[in-house]
Amino acid sequence: MSEEQQPHANLVVPTFRTEKEPKTQTQNGNGRSVWRFGGSEKAAEASTVTLRGVIFMLFDNCSKDVKKTVLPLGHGDPSVYSCFRTCIEAEDAVVDVLRSGKGNSYGPGAGIPPARRAVADYLNGDLPNKLSPDDIFLTAGCNQGIEIVFESLARPSANILLPRPGFPHYDARAVYSGLEIRKFDLLPDREWEIDLEGVESIADENTVAIVVINPNNPCGNVYSHDHLKKVAETARKLGIMVITDEVYDRTIFGDNPFVPMGKFASIVPVLTLGGISKGWVVPGWKLGWIALNDPEGVFEYTKVTQSIKQNLDITPDPSTIIQVALPEILEKADKKFFAKKNKILKHNVDLVCDRLKDIPCVVCPKKPESCTYLLTKLELSLLENIKDDIDFCVKLAREENLVLLPGEALGLKNWMRITIGVEAHMLEDALERLKGFCARHAKKTETETESLEALKL
Amino acid sequence: MGEIGAKRWNFGANEVVEDACSQTVRDFLNLLVDNLDRNDARPVIPLGLGDPSPFPSFRTDPAAVEAVCEALRSSKFNHYPSLSGLPLTRKAVAEYLSRDLSYHISPDDVHLTVGCHQAIEILISTLAVPGANILLPRPTYPMYDSRASLSQLEIRRYDLLPENGWEVDLNAIEALADDKTVALVLINPCNPCGNVFLRQHLQKIAETASKLGILVIADEVYKDIVFGDKPFVSMAEFAEIVPVMMLGAISKRWFVPGWRFGWMVTLDPHNIMKDSGLVGSLVNVLNMSTDTTTFIQGAIPDIIGKTKEEFFSSKLGTLRECAETCYEEIKKIPCITCPYKPEGSMFTMVKLDLSMLEDISDDLEFCCKLAKEESLIILPGRAVALKNWLRITFAVELEVLRDGFVRLNNFAQRHSKKKT
Repeated sequence: MSEEQQPHANLVVPTFRTEKEPKTQTQNGNGRSVWRFGGSEKAAEASTVTLRGVIFMLFDNCSKDVKKTVLPLGHGDPSVYSCFRTCIEAEDAVVDVLRSGKGNSYGPGAGIPPARRAVADYLNGDLPNKLSPDDIFLTAGCNQGIEIVFESLARPSANILLPRPGFPHYDARAVYSGLEIRKFDLLPDREWEIDLEGVESIADENTVAIVVINPNNPCGNVYSHDHLKKVAETARKLGIMVITDEVYDRTIFGDNPFVPMGKFASIVPVLTLGGISKGWVVPGWKLGWIALNDPEGVFEYTKVTQSIKQNLDITPDPSTIIQVALPEILEKADKKFFAKKNKILKHNVDLVCDRLKDIPCVVCPKKPESCTYLLTKLELSLLENIKDDIDFCVKLAREENLVLLPGEALGLKNWMRITIGVEAHMLEDALERLKGFCARHAKKTETETESLEALKL
Repeated sequence: MGEIGAKRWNFGANEVVEDACSQTVRDFLNLLVDNLDRNDARPVIPLGLGDPSPFPSFRTDPAAVEAVCEALRSSKFNHYPSLSGLPLTRKAVAEYLSRDLSYHISPDDVHLTVGCHQAIEILISTLAVPGANILLPRPTYPMYDSRASLSQLEIRRYDLLPENGWEVDLNAIEALADDKTVALVLINPCNPCGNVFLRQHLQKIAETASKLGILVIADEVYKDIVFGDKPFVSMAEFAEIVPVMMLGAISKRWFVPGWRFGWMVTLDPHNIMKDSGLVGSLVNVLNMSTDTTTFIQGAIPDIIGKTKEEFFSSKLGTLRECAETCYEEIKKIPCITCPYKPEGSMFTMVKLDLSMLEDISDDLEFCCKLAKEESLIILPGRAVALKNWLRITFAVELEVLRDGFVRLNNFAQRHSKKKT
């Protein structure tokens, strides 16, 4: 298999990494002048929290000497596996636009009107307060939506409430925009519900927003109507907006129905982030949106809307090609395609949970019902010489060429995240290797220790 | 209803954004469009924005379209791309750019971006340490100004001299720079002036920047849109003298700004940018920013490899004709003067002689009335930091351009001061 064909070839270790403190001046070779530009501390600080760094480090620990293919189950990108290939209707829509020549020009900062209208229609199905196309802003992927929203909300002394465990891109962009981060917990004993008491205790008059990810990455739960209503009421009481990340709205395979936060927009202004990357399995197409669910016009009179629009005018746009294709992509959304994808994911979840029954030190307390991940708790007390989740994952990579994500990267120490948006046989293989690894590192029981000592005598 | 409206909310606008975005090119164009007379049945003639892609004469090459279709259909390029871009794409771009240079660019120095625009965004934002300033040209490409304002990087302007073919005022650069200056931006071929800088002049700029200890941001997005006698010389040729950040994109040469594919190349043979920590910071910021569409990346080797020279030469011929027509037509209108015949890019700057006009006090009023009376959109010079000048784009269908000048002529005559 060529380098380009390997499933994780899209992740490449950067050719250099500088750990040095950025300097603002350096002498050049012959001392003729002092150079006045340098690194950015802001950038350095923000980048320490990205996932890529952790994943690269784990890949670095894999080795050719371990004669097993590298299994990349630490990051989530199902698009490289043929079983998750996007639907033909979406491909056709894009090809048609390309051949028509209609996707080649610059577009307006907020996005082209037909695309904005298509997103409003797509979201309005589930909403009591209907969105107009003017409430929709297109972004170059959901991640860029986060960049733009944070940049638009940043003010001196402002702070933002982020979930723990969370999605590190939020942390990175908050730091980069100068927003202070305050964390609230998702409670593992309450099926990852938001600790609302905790939220009330950390918010103050400088808090601008709470970020809710639903369906939840990494935990995989889907929040109930009642819980989301409580979140809305809490936010209202605190005078903050709810930023809801619903990019996984089409990746649900459990019994709980998805309820959009926008349903509670009459209680609190809701800013919804979304995109086609997860639903249609096309993260490389880079098309997302910001939707302002705000029947009372709060975003308008607080000038948040203006900030977002202005920001969009001077920020790179998503490709016009996908924008023009978007109405077709959204309208022709085939329920069968989503059902097929979600069925595979459900099967994978069941497979992993079944195999985990034989691995006592890796426990999945709640089966995910959405997204493409499975969170497990590590019972380190059952293991010998494994310090924490990072140590576990590094050794696992080193000994088994199996990459899983240490929960520390998501703010959950001594947990571990397994990507299930992969081919089933990879999960079978991974769980075998995991079982072997855990058996090898298991703490010896008392009788075993006695027998060993007996042999030594 | 009232309760939620009267409630105090803790969030609001980012004022820095508001200041940064006052008066972008888009803002001015929107203002002019608002001035259009809805009852005028004539089609609007758009000589304000540099984007010929909607016109039949400027359709992109079918080979490029097919390359993208193939990459898409292969389903091998739907994934998240690698940091700085797919290796195969970085390699293709490095080779492509090296063709016109005296040395080879390493793929590791090529960072792919969402159009040249994102390169500007990331570069400016990374350079903006507290207290720093940047040297921008006057007239300018205002995206640099907007991004600098947003990042709170102080702007200092140096002039391009119309009487000297729009050459850089090097004395001004030395006078403006101080120990907090981080970089100088040079757009070559020049948007909005339409000139191409001479080799000797570029060398002097490089030497001046080196003396001042600042890097050169060489925005070469129009490097292939050159149709005069002067050959284009890249600032890359002077990377031994001064570290260069070279920006570019496929948008202009292939007429596909909507495809959003560009690059930022670090030309740094003495590792000055690397040692200073700048390159590391850029990579850090790229790491947490959006990327350019993966299937476009996948198609790049074929876009570059399969587009025939005929396509480029034919389009360039059309642009040359447009530029010449534009220049000739301008000469016929007494109240506007073009100091230098355009030889590159898609624009030219013309000076307004307001003394010849009745009831028009400045460039903005000129353009607003022009939009209203003639359904003709031309950008007022203040949008590019040169009041009482105009920026005209000639990169439109030739017939549309001619029509535009008929209307401009009529307008000028109507508003000319009558001789008693």
